[in-house]
Amino acid sequence: MLVQVPGGWNPLLGRLAIDQIPYTNPILAPLFVAVVIGGIILLGLITYYQKWGYLWKEWLTTVDHKKLGVMYIILGLVMLFRGFIDGLMIRTQQVWANGPQSSGVFGAVHGYLTPFHFGQVYSAHGLIMILLAATPLLVGFMNIIVPLQVGARDMAYPYLNALGLWITAAAVALIMISLFVGDFAHNGWFGYAPIFELQYSPGVGVDYWIWTLELTALGTTLGGINLIATIVKMRAPGMTWFRLPIFTWASLSANIIALTSFPALQVALFLVACDRYFGSHFFTAGFGGNLMLYTNLFWLWGHPEVYFVILPAFGMMSEIFPAFSEKPLFGYITMVAASFAIAGVSWLVWLHHFFTMGAGPEVNSFFSVATMLVGIPTGVKVFNWAFTMYRGRITYTAAMLWAIGALFLLLVGGLTGMMLAIPAINYMVHNSVFVIAHFHSMLLVIVYAIFGSVLFWFPKVFGFKLDEFWAKTMFWLFSAGTVLVFVPMYMLGFMGQTRRLDYVFNTAWHPYLVTEEIGIAVYCLSVAAFFVLLYVSIRDRVKNRVGQDAWGTSRSLEWLTHSPVPFYNFAVTPHVNARDELAWRRHNGINEAQPTQYVDIHMPNNTGVAIYIGALTFVLGFALTWRVWWLCLLSLVAIIVLMIVRSWRGDPGYIITAAELEKMEREAMQRQQQVEGHLPHHGGHAVPSGAMAYEGQKVSPLGTPPSSGDHH
Amino acid sequence: MFKKQAKRLALWGGGTLAAVWAGLANAGIFWIFDPKGTMADTNLHYMIIDVVIMGAIVGITALLVIWFMWKYSKGKNRGKYDAHWSHSNTLEVLVWGIPIIAVGFLAYFAVKGTFEINPYNPTVITKHMAPKGDPVHVDVIATDWQWLFIYPQYHMAVANELVLPVHTPVFFRLTSTAVTSGFFIPQLVGMIDVMPGMRTKNALESDRIGVYQGIASDYAGAGTSWMTFPTKMVSKEDFQNWVSKVQTSPKTMTYASFNRFAEPYINVNHRVVYFSNVESGIFDHLMMEVMHGKTWPLPPAMTENMVAYMQKQAAEHRD
Ligand code: HEM
Ligand SMILES: [Cu+2]
Repeated sequence: MLVQVPGGWNPLLGRLAIDQIPYTNPILAPLFVAVVIGGIILLGLITYYQKWGYLWKEWLTTVDHKKLGVMYIILGLVMLFRGFIDGLMIRTQQVWANGPQSSGVFGAVHGYLTPFHFGQVYSAHGLIMILLAATPLLVGFMNIIVPLQVGARDMAYPYLNALGLWITAAAVALIMISLFVGDFAHNGWFGYAPIFELQYSPGVGVDYWIWTLELTALGTTLGGINLIATIVKMRAPGMTWFRLPIFTWASLSANIIALTSFPALQVALFLVACDRYFGSHFFTAGFGGNLMLYTNLFWLWGHPEVYFVILPAFGMMSEIFPAFSEKPLFGYITMVAASFAIAGVSWLVWLHHFFTMGAGPEVNSFFSVATMLVGIPTGVKVFNWAFTMYRGRITYTAAMLWAIGALFLLLVGGLTGMMLAIPAINYMVHNSVFVIAHFHSMLLVIVYAIFGSVLFWFPKVFGFKLDEFWAKTMFWLFSAGTVLVFVPMYMLGFMGQTRRLDYVFNTAWHPYLVTEEIGIAVYCLSVAAFFVLLYVSIRDRVKNRVGQDAWGTSRSLEWLTHSPVPFYNFAVTPHVNARDELAWRRHNGINEAQPTQYVDIHMPNNTGVAIYIGALTFVLGFALTWRVWWLCLLSLVAIIVLMIVRSWRGDPGYIITAAELEKMEREAMQRQQQVEGHLPHHGGHAVPSGAMAYEGQKVSPLGTPPSSGDHH
Repeated sequence: MFKKQAKRLALWGGGTLAAVWAGLANAGIFWIFDPKGTMADTNLHYMIIDVVIMGAIVGITALLVIWFMWKYSKGKNRGKYDAHWSHSNTLEVLVWGIPIIAVGFLAYFAVKGTFEINPYNPTVITKHMAPKGDPVHVDVIATDWQWLFIYPQYHMAVANELVLPVHTPVFFRLTSTAVTSGFFIPQLVGMIDVMPGMRTKNALESDRIGVYQGIASDYAGAGTSWMTFPTKMVSKEDFQNWVSKVQTSPKTMTYASFNRFAEPYINVNHRVVYFSNVESGIFDHLMMEVMHGKTWPLPPAMTENMVAYMQKQAAEHRD
């Protein structure tokens, strides 16, 4: 039943053989040596400083949503860097391999990457950036912020949360190891039928691609379930739906998309795997296979996916604009409506990714109009941010600069998206670098929103601010890079340059390719500025410490607890009186009101099971890729056994007693006093009737009445 | 200080770009803005409509944002601060209304355009088709990695070069041997997918003599980048002369020899081959065979070393 693979197979090692290790490759071999040396140094340092215990207890086995979120973000940043290096390689190849006279090295006729390697680089770039950089970064932020914004102690399922992280990490490990063992797919991040079939991609690259995608899909789905459950079931008393912070709304809509669309991807890839492993004919050209079926199934997920990543970014922007305009978000209700409109319509537009398939004009017209409908709620969001600034008091912090940059990129991406949505235009620029420029404008909205959020929420998680000067330097460098890379790219699109060219035949394009390369160099500088930013900020961490409300103008619930957030989030669950709870409390002078009494709280235990299962899924993915059947079976059985054992045992959790809690709270408040020079008050100021700071705490009337936050 | 640097950098970047743009824009390298055929003309027409409508909205919004950024900057006291203002019914109607109206307009044009240049029956061509202006039919076959253009009316075929008469509608049928690719001549006609075991269609018409670049617009594997072909629009007489020339080519093509032609070949040196006496029905025969499972498998890691591969290919005397 299993298909024969070219190039040998044995029962013990499957397709693994020494010639699958590219030790003669002039780029990969030195890189491998560097990675090994770096790894040894890192492990040596951890051992030297005896940090293994700390690492294991505090991070690797944690179920704390903030720490998991931080690890998601670190993972995402590392992959953002890897993806950036891929991007640099792609740009360098194209500027070099331009015209018949261009030279070639390392076995390439032109440039330094042969088609074999170039295909792998751009496929890895796309897959990494969308699924292993943007997605973990966003999931990381949702992990950290959503439970705090709804006033919960953790996610609904802390253990599931850890599982999601470690499965995502397994996917990352799988794609990273494909650098050094075997090769990666050349069929682009989204895959084409039938080029990914065994006849046209006989190596293991496509298999790495399948299992990496399957693992991220699994990890993200688990995360989605968790976030939805948390938002629906774990809201603090008084947190009605229309008091929900906007980022949480955005997360909800995004995760509904994730939960409903990722299965389509998983099925599509499973069918590809059937073709490659069992010799079925789902997507082959012959024997009744249908190759466009793959494309349909993929984009049925693929388009919702792009909204899955942009909606949380919109949510982030919707938090940053009000905080630095010192004003509530304009049109909260329409913002929520727009998010769900986008989520809904995103299901109906997938065919716009292949208008050129040759469907009839009726079909293309339908999908064209449906696609343009998405532009409406997207436009509404832009207007709402603009009117949030209107009558505001705008401070141009680095976080605000990133948010504004994102807004302008969204305008550009929206304009070009609306061009692509019209088939009569699309036929000319589909599969050209114009599309590349379009979606990079959009994905850069996400990157901008993420860097803005890093700056905005960093003090909440770590208790000190990042350095503004270096953050702004990085912003300006990054923006200069963006202009220099993507303006010429749009122009090249209008010149007819198609995408994925290993060799660029037209020398008239050379000046533009050179400009792009300069842009990449500027991006490199901004990456350097980012490292300086981290160094300087950590060096000055004591000087830059902040209290609970780091910016003084923050608005939602997460700013009510201490910075850094204690592992139990809120000592006593707060009572929510208004949309923009913290702004409301500040307005009424009770933003520093502290609970008068504490009660015991119940917390989940750490567990090593999640990381074990993550490691086993990596082994499973690797074994499947190399067709080592005994290892597949072994790891699969081990995963199932671990899951059963864990479910059997459950987690009784543990109790933090009121006394312990009071002690920790006192310490946190002393820290706050050191930072801000005064002690938070116990009990409350004069507060409106019916209002409560914490459940069961009554306070006497004054100020504005509790409301849902809509001031006219 | 960094602001100054950033400004200088922006000026430099902007200046370079402007210079590049100005120096080359009129050289006609913006193929999409310089259409040479009915189909491409229509594409550009709709692009202009769309960009005017959307550009106006996006431009005004950008200006609005910049104005707010200036006016409501903290500490400058240029605008009135209102800590609570967050709702206005008029504005809500506007922010939803403007995009809805714009999309309404665009939807009309989108549908109209989709029918006008429907690749299977482009009304911009078929509506005005002169009864006597006999169309030329071309069967396009994409192989790994060459283009074969079969002219069934003339029982001839050409590899990697397309020659067509002006003032004549041209109708294409397209398929592929092994994998999916795309057929694209930026100045004449937009992209259409070319798929194994399936037939797509496209059409073009042009009244402007010239040579236009043809491109394989979808990734089809190692040789895609070299899968380019010149498209020559020539006068009707020149076309007839050219046809006669091809028809005297010593090379002929049967379905069997087509199968050899279709074996993997990277066309780095842009060879062009003429075939006379081409067996009829190759296109349909190929489609049937592919539907029944024929493939053209590739060796693993074939272009890991491209230089070595090119030597091997040359040694097989296929250049
Ligand atoms: C105004 C809203 C938008 C419209 C009208 C729009 C329209 C389109 C269209 C029509 C295409 C297909 C282009 C082609 O291949 O011919 C496309 C591609 C794409 N868009 Fe958008 N888009 C919008 C927003 C977004 C957003 C928010 C994202 C998220 C980051 C995004 C990411 C992408 C990606 C990743 C692709 C191409 C994927 C690929 O071919 O590799 N777009 N868009
Ligand atoms: Cu899409």
